[in-house]
Amino acid sequence: MAAYRADDDYDYLFKLVLIGDSGVGKSNLLSRFAKNEFNLESKSTIGVEFATRSIRVDDKIVKAQIWDTAGQERYRAITSAYYRGAVGALLVYDTSRHVTFENVERWLKELRAHTDSNIVIMLVGNKADLRHLRAVPTEEAKAFAEKENTYFMETSALEALNVETAFTEVLTQIHHVVSRKALDAGDDPLGLPKGQTINVGSKDDVSAVKKVGCCSA
Amino acid sequence: MVKKRLPDWLNSPMWSSPTVTTSPPPKSRSLSPPPPPPSSSNDDRYGIGSYPSKSSSVTSSDSSLNEPHVPLPPPTSIKQEPTPKTRIRDSSTRSVNSDNDVSSSIEDVSRQAQLLEEIINIGELRQLCLLGIPDAAGIRSTVWKLLLAYLPTDKGLWSSELAKKRAQYKQFKENLLMNPTSFSMILNVSVASQSEITRTFEVSASLKNGDLSEGKGLLERSKIPHGEHPLSLGKTSIWNQFFQDSEIIEQIDRDVKRTHPDIPFFSGDSASSKANQESLKNILIIFAKLNPGIRYVQGMNELLAPLFYVFRNDPNEDSLVNAEADTFFCFVELISGFRDNFCQQLDNSIVGIRSTISRLSQLLKQHDEELWRHLEVNPQFYAFRWITLLLTQEFNFSDSLHIWDALLSDPEGPQETLLRVCCAMLILVRRRLLAGDFTANLKLLQSYPSTNVSQLLYLSNKLRSC
Repeated sequence: MAAYRADDDYDYLFKLVLIGDSGVGKSNLLSRFAKNEFNLESKSTIGVEFATRSIRVDDKIVKAQIWDTAGQERYRAITSAYYRGAVGALLVYDTSRHVTFENVERWLKELRAHTDSNIVIMLVGNKADLRHLRAVPTEEAKAFAEKENTYFMETSALEALNVETAFTEVLTQIHHVVSRKALDAGDDPLGLPKGQTINVGSKDDVSAVKKVGCCSA
Repeated sequence: MVKKRLPDWLNSPMWSSPTVTTSPPPKSRSLSPPPPPPSSSNDDRYGIGSYPSKSSSVTSSDSSLNEPHVPLPPPTSIKQEPTPKTRIRDSSTRSVNSDNDVSSSIEDVSRQAQLLEEIINIGELRQLCLLGIPDAAGIRSTVWKLLLAYLPTDKGLWSSELAKKRAQYKQFKENLLMNPTSFSMILNVSVASQSEITRTFEVSASLKNGDLSEGKGLLERSKIPHGEHPLSLGKTSIWNQFFQDSEIIEQIDRDVKRTHPDIPFFSGDSASSKANQESLKNILIIFAKLNPGIRYVQGMNELLAPLFYVFRNDPNEDSLVNAEADTFFCFVELISGFRDNFCQQLDNSIVGIRSTISRLSQLLKQHDEELWRHLEVNPQFYAFRWITLLLTQEFNFSDSLHIWDALLSDPEGPQETLLRVCCAMLILVRRRLLAGDFTANLKLLQSYPSTNVSQLLYLSNKLRSC
């Protein structure tokens, strides 16, 4: 597809994961961001799905490689491979179902157990368009996000509200982490060659893609 | 013996040009060999009576993959004299709507499928179904029930067996599908420990009555059986069980609504689609309650859908109205062959999903080492869904029914057959995979291009272990 051709030209490749309970709208957030599509009746995700999109962050082209996973508990063991190499995560709940917010804590725990401590996490309250059904007050989620030191945003994949902003913010913050790391590595200015992929994990699946380097070692 | 594992025909454009013909009649001209599939001049290559059986491909000195199979005459059977109307079997295997001439040939087809025999030879039936069962005339409905051993091979036993099973299902429904807020449901959460729970509840109910009769109006907390209160976190608490149940039921509800959203039979607001969704829900809830070790796993809805669709569209009125009960038992049978894939505890065991996926990888290595070497995509990222859902999300619905014909009928069993079909899927797009990088390949395999399924099954048959 022509839209993906330009993807090959990028400065950074960042792997993001979408996690959260089943039915909170992870797949639709992804398709809204990657293809500007929304499907009211989409099939449940089994295993993992995958999409990419490149955006400009500061003066760099950042290619986001976004992984969408199944929400059900049973699939978590199998999906642990999908966390490998992730540098950003959108932890999604449904603003109209409080239980999905209650489970955020468990997701966070799992995410932190499987990823590098520098991972950029955003708590995302999706389905904000269902205003009459709201079950999770914005303030409650905001307070939680502050406590857990994550970013926070409410979105609506259906109305295309804040979806672009949420992804862009996460990618921007990752870029900042990378830049900061580059500064920290100041002892040896040549330690971080330009135009490389950030890799905060160990050997990851992203490494199958070209231009991979490791700046966290 | 062929030493080289990669015959030239693997590189034939036939395997890599994405065939846009999603449902053509499977005639040889659309396949443009090499290798020429069995000659189809008699137009019934895909008729259920004529595909070379497994034994025939072994005995026809077909050690070289370059050599086309030679179609053998249908296995001999007293009632299987060829009829002039073989074309119906050919055309009807491809399209749900192609039911011209159907009424006049139902008998032919039934005869070919052995359905008119008194005692059905299941081995022969399997051979007949390998490359597809006709869509018309309810043949598939009956044959799947036979292949899943829901129907006995002795036709004389059918009506009594069906009556027994359907009554049993009715019983399940009455016992397990109560109003979720009633105690009855709680009492029935687990069949295994039912009597124990019932007893517990009788105890607490009598306590409650006693309290009320004394005019206190409040339960004395100390008298509530230990751990049996709504806030109990104990795993054995019936309340805990109750909340887990409602969680599962909500999950089932969500997934049933998302089952084939593009097919009116399953989705939309029509009365019939609502009723169909209700049936799917009932089956999944009953299954979850009867199988506490597995309960409901996302994706089971996708395995249930083809069975229910096929049975619910059976022209036989009796089969049609009992589709829910019949589907339940066939679903149990189907899933029993794959249940390890759904079981989290077995993920890392020799029978779990990871091990199944590595077997696919080994199979690919065996048949196409070059492709195996090149594919750097972790097979979990695509094959997990292929295997868990038995390919129902990779193809359009009627094509996946055809693939299921092969899965259910192949004498090697559904799991082995599934792995062969998955391997064939990889080989069919090998040229694109060899040319692609990680991202392109993952996208290709997660969104498999539309394919001529007959061609796919033909190739998968060739991969039969030598």
